[in-house]
Amino acid sequence: MKRLIAALCLLAAPIAAPVSAQDFSEGSEARSWNLYAEQPARFEAQVVDILCELSGNCPDNCGDGRRQLGLLRAADGVLVYPNKNSQPAFTGAAVELLPYCGQQVEVDGLMIDDPDLGAINIYLVQKIRTVGAEEWVKANRWTKVWAENHPEAKGKGPWFRRDPRVKAEIAAEGFTGLGVEAEQTFIKELFE
Amino acid sequence: MRQLFLSTVFAGVSVALSPMAHAAEGERVRVTGEIIDTWCYFSGVMGGPDAVVGSAHHTCALWCSAGGIPVGLLGEDGEVYMVLKIGADDGSASGDTQLTLASHEIVADGLLYQRDGLNYIVVEEVVADNDITNLNHEDYGPVPPFAIPNPNK
Repeated sequence: MKRLIAALCLLAAPIAAPVSAQDFSEGSEARSWNLYAEQPARFEAQVVDILCELSGNCPDNCGDGRRQLGLLRAADGVLVYPNKNSQPAFTGAAVELLPYCGQQVEVDGLMIDDPDLGAINIYLVQKIRTVGAEEWVKANRWTKVWAENHPEAKGKGPWFRRDPRVKAEIAAEGFTGLGVEAEQTFIKELFE
Repeated sequence: MRQLFLSTVFAGVSVALSPMAHAAEGERVRVTGEIIDTWCYFSGVMGGPDAVVGSAHHTCALWCSAGGIPVGLLGEDGEVYMVLKIGADDGSASGDTQLTLASHEIVADGLLYQRDGLNYIVVEEVVADNDITNLNHEDYGPVPPFAIPNPNK
């Protein structure tokens, strides 16, 4: 009976594990972005739909790309929030993680821990692989997926200059969001 | 006592192994704040927190929201609430509703969840949309500087 109780206590241990108490930098090959609060972090986790995880509202396939995805870390049960993929192009991480919905993966990247700003368990994912796989997959698919979904926006320049929704917002409200007329003087003086 | 102990341990194991172990009722809250781009705010990649909000950062906020970076609600209390849903739109990764609210000050009624140091909010209703109220573009210029292309080129 004592052995059974000890085993069950071990299984229950993640419940009591302290938040962010462990160092996950060992073995990381993450590339630095020279960010103030970055730390290399490589760990195993389950890819989860964050809204599902928190509220129990769970559509098929983690929301099919509509929703933000999280990493439920195997070592301590902490829900890590990947905010960013590896591309320096204003691009998030959900597209990179969606193929792994519900799966156990290993990730490598940068953890952002800046409590003064409320940044705790915020992550930039640089590469992913299913647990046990040999090959890493770079977390840089976003722009390719965007191009496939927006053939009408094909052209020169980065995606964010060509995105139809962004262009529509700027056409309607200007670059500052205050209105095209309202910002005319500011823009004129900016480039004088 | 042994039965009580075992019941407690089994309950703990059950919670630990359940796929939705932490799914719970949220706490009803009303938050007033600005819809922000969380990566620029948290990482400091574009500068300090005062520069990556408001009209100075509006274009970048559009880019990041469309690019699938999570948006947050920066409350008057200084807390960041990670937005998971707005009304019926659960598009928290590049969704339409959140894009149209970029940099706006809103009053949100919804449900708050707290997990591992982060605040999450399911916005059930945008009670008020006050448009952009943080007019900081004269102070900081466009952030990043290339957000506004030179019209003379």
